[in-house]
Amino acid sequence: MTRSVIDPITRIEGHLRAEMEVTDGVVTDAWISGGCFRGMELVVRDRTPEDAAYIVQRICGVCPVSHMHSASIAAEQALGITIPNNARIIRNLIEGAQFLHSNILWLYNLAGLDYVNPLNALGADAADAYDLAAELGTPSADFVGLQDRLKKFADNGQLSIFSGNWFDTGEYNMTPEADLILTAHYLEALQMQSKASEIAALLGGKMPHIMTIVPGGTAFVPTAEKLDDLKGLVDEVYQWVADTMIPDTLAIAKFYPEATTFGKGIGRYAAWGVFESPFDEGTSYADRMRNRYLPAGVLDENFNISDPDESKITEYVGHSWYEGDADLPPFEQDTKPAFTEYDVNDRYTWDKCPLYDGKSLETGSFARVLVAYKRGVPFVKQHVDEMLVALGAQAGDLSVLQNTLGRTAARQVETLYIATLMKEWVNELCEAIKSGDSEYFRAPEKSDGEGTAFWEAPRGALYHSEKVKGGKITDYQIIIPSTWNLSPHDPKGNYGPLEQALIGVPVADVEKPINALRTVHSFDPCTACAVHIVEPKTGKKFETVTSPWGVK
Amino acid sequence: MDKQSTASEFQGMLEARGVSRRSFMKLCGTLAIMAGLGEAAAPRVAQALEESVIGASQGDLYPVIWIEGASCTGCTEAFAQIDAPDAAAVVLELISLNYSETLSAAAGHSMEKAKEQTIEAGNYILVYEGAVLNGWNGNALRVAGKTGNEHLIEAAEKATAVVALGSCAVNGGWMAAAPNASNATGVQAFLKEQGINVPIINIPGCPPNPEWLCAVLIQYLLLGELPELNAENKPTQIFGQTIHDNCQRRGHFENGEFVYQFGSPEEAKGYCLYPLGCRGPQTKANCGVVRYNHRRSWCVEAGAPCIGCCEANPNNPGQNWIEVNTPFFKRHRDLNIGDFKFQPGTIAAAVLGIEAVALVIHGFGMKAAGRVPNGAEFEKKRAWDAKHPEKSIGVYDDAPKSDAKKGGDE
Repeated sequence: MTRSVIDPITRIEGHLRAEMEVTDGVVTDAWISGGCFRGMELVVRDRTPEDAAYIVQRICGVCPVSHMHSASIAAEQALGITIPNNARIIRNLIEGAQFLHSNILWLYNLAGLDYVNPLNALGADAADAYDLAAELGTPSADFVGLQDRLKKFADNGQLSIFSGNWFDTGEYNMTPEADLILTAHYLEALQMQSKASEIAALLGGKMPHIMTIVPGGTAFVPTAEKLDDLKGLVDEVYQWVADTMIPDTLAIAKFYPEATTFGKGIGRYAAWGVFESPFDEGTSYADRMRNRYLPAGVLDENFNISDPDESKITEYVGHSWYEGDADLPPFEQDTKPAFTEYDVNDRYTWDKCPLYDGKSLETGSFARVLVAYKRGVPFVKQHVDEMLVALGAQAGDLSVLQNTLGRTAARQVETLYIATLMKEWVNELCEAIKSGDSEYFRAPEKSDGEGTAFWEAPRGALYHSEKVKGGKITDYQIIIPSTWNLSPHDPKGNYGPLEQALIGVPVADVEKPINALRTVHSFDPCTACAVHIVEPKTGKKFETVTSPWGVK
Repeated sequence: MDKQSTASEFQGMLEARGVSRRSFMKLCGTLAIMAGLGEAAAPRVAQALEESVIGASQGDLYPVIWIEGASCTGCTEAFAQIDAPDAAAVVLELISLNYSETLSAAAGHSMEKAKEQTIEAGNYILVYEGAVLNGWNGNALRVAGKTGNEHLIEAAEKATAVVALGSCAVNGGWMAAAPNASNATGVQAFLKEQGINVPIINIPGCPPNPEWLCAVLIQYLLLGELPELNAENKPTQIFGQTIHDNCQRRGHFENGEFVYQFGSPEEAKGYCLYPLGCRGPQTKANCGVVRYNHRRSWCVEAGAPCIGCCEANPNNPGQNWIEVNTPFFKRHRDLNIGDFKFQPGTIAAAVLGIEAVALVIHGFGMKAAGRVPNGAEFEKKRAWDAKHPEKSIGVYDDAPKSDAKKGGDE
């Protein structure tokens, strides 16, 4: 038995530590520690709901739009505003642009380097790479030029972002030609993620940290020129996504069949739903959630689906650095941080343990795709089934995807779906404007209330809830996707979703546990926002504490 | 010394990536202006780019350590959106980014080792993103067995220069806003307190425009000099003028043509966002010139008033952009009186105030005095004002404006 620790885990957002017990080359016990310590809910108190929308997005530079969007929805719920239809479409477009940006960046530039070794591409035969690209059905690029560029880079002798890499573990399986193709796409992806961000900037001013989603609608009003630019950008990103991402996913799957044998996790999933379909004042919030383009739902171990129920959500703090071991709904907690030490047998993280009906849930793109499948969203159903067949499984057998590779692969179905929807929404917006609708914003008519947003960030289910009195926020609560995924053991000692997924992962080298890293990245963790309510407390010792940033 | 790449090789590389000579020279011009050299220096920048670092064949990439403190990763994300050179070119051909928690292939102890070796070798630039947290004696932020502050001290002591990137790194940013739960501060104040004397370049913004960092890096790496800095160690060429000075909607301000509500017809006309609380007149940055995301747009162009995210006094975390500027959609200078803070609620009615009335009179006066003869079409009475007489900030004289001097141009 030996311990394997990854700290810091890179190519994620924020700082995170994974500690694993390894027995006979397999992970037998796991503890995830992470979080951050910035006091967001306290900063927005006593400020206005619209200020809160601008401030809370600063919790995360990767998914700021979702936070601003959620804060705006929570304010609209609190102040009784139904946003105009045009605002709904524009907000979908901004959110969609962020999802495309985030999903592209994640697959190629964050998770990708767990599978792709750009330095190995130096040994490729460029001519063979063209043949292989044709065989894989993925686009070619200037492979000769790229190899030349890589050679210059390698000859220079400095490794830059590849310094200290784990490429020498013997667990990178791709041929030099495949590495060359995927490296070309790594570089294209860097450009395409920024194109997707450009869409968010066109409609939102800049990205990250957009400016135009406000409680009541949008500050952005499209002009003919902006619509032209929008259509051009959306079409360009769509085309690249459609041509490249699913073939590349299947290529990775081909070289890493072993990644289907570990990383299942707890097998229960939640999605709160994202991208609003048309709704009006009469639509209940539950209906809105069900009708979203990616709908809301909770799945049990047997893929049985139910509607989310806010009253079932609690947060347990018995393994986290807070006083006591309460398991209470968000607003009923009076959580005070109480640092002890990093002790995996007791308390070991800043992350609370959110529970739904007493059980933890996995959230994220994989959960959204599974929920959409079970809700019968035609596009998702068709493309998931096609992917299953391409992987050599039966259409409809979702269990084939319940592993590290499946979690990584299913996300591209979502990416393609969103890219397709973006094109539809551009047309929808043009039609709406042509029909004479010129309303983009509705001001609140009251200044007191309570409202909750169930929404999704690219990394999963996002919950914002606020209480407003006299136009000012008196209490604000956020439950972030990674809080669900990175949660510690529950009151009964069951593992959190990522912890459970790590159990059984093969580790050949405890110094460089690459399969564990692949599994962590399949969740696309985002720890900067995972833990966020804290106050300073003096007089406590901190020598051995793993703190927000995840350490011994 | 191994041979340097030649201009033609470099040009070939640019062409292979679809960069024409013309757009390359345009880039050099932008960089030269941002580096404070003036556009005339573009050929000098071009020559430096062609003859030195990019594409060089032996160990010529300048080492950079990029540490994320208490950050949201937004500054790194912004960097990934950089225009020309793009992010890949920067990390492959300009700098050797030996430590980046978001971009590095390595993880865990291998990462830390890469950083240690870089520090040991010396002669590198440290980019620090995120706030410095003093809470719990610095233990609020720990990475790989040490406090975040220890990492900062180690990396800063031997650095050639430290770039405090983003408003959080400059003075704590939003984390320093009341109640400042984690006792956040900025890099400059922290290092001063620690007695570490290293050149600091403050680049505020939330996020900072990646072109700003690129301009500073290129000026240093290629021309061997730090940019000219103001008293707050911010590059003067970037942070020397207000947003308002260079705003594309400035003409409408002069004309007294304003947006009073989000998403309104006035917004469609691109009128001035001043009544919605725009902080352009008091926030210093060249956002409107450089623009964001491949120069696609920027806040004001998209219809959002500037919220002053570049406001950051490096010597005072209390003077962070949130504290100074909320409520964002109110003109509020009069509302902060000494320590007394008044935060009005609601977005419903946009600002009313003596200042705004004075501005409209000023605008009318400009028009009446014929100082803006070719401006946008002048409405005798703004449609919005006529519809909302109780909220209007325009002061109208019912008598016909026959007297050209009327309106007070004095």
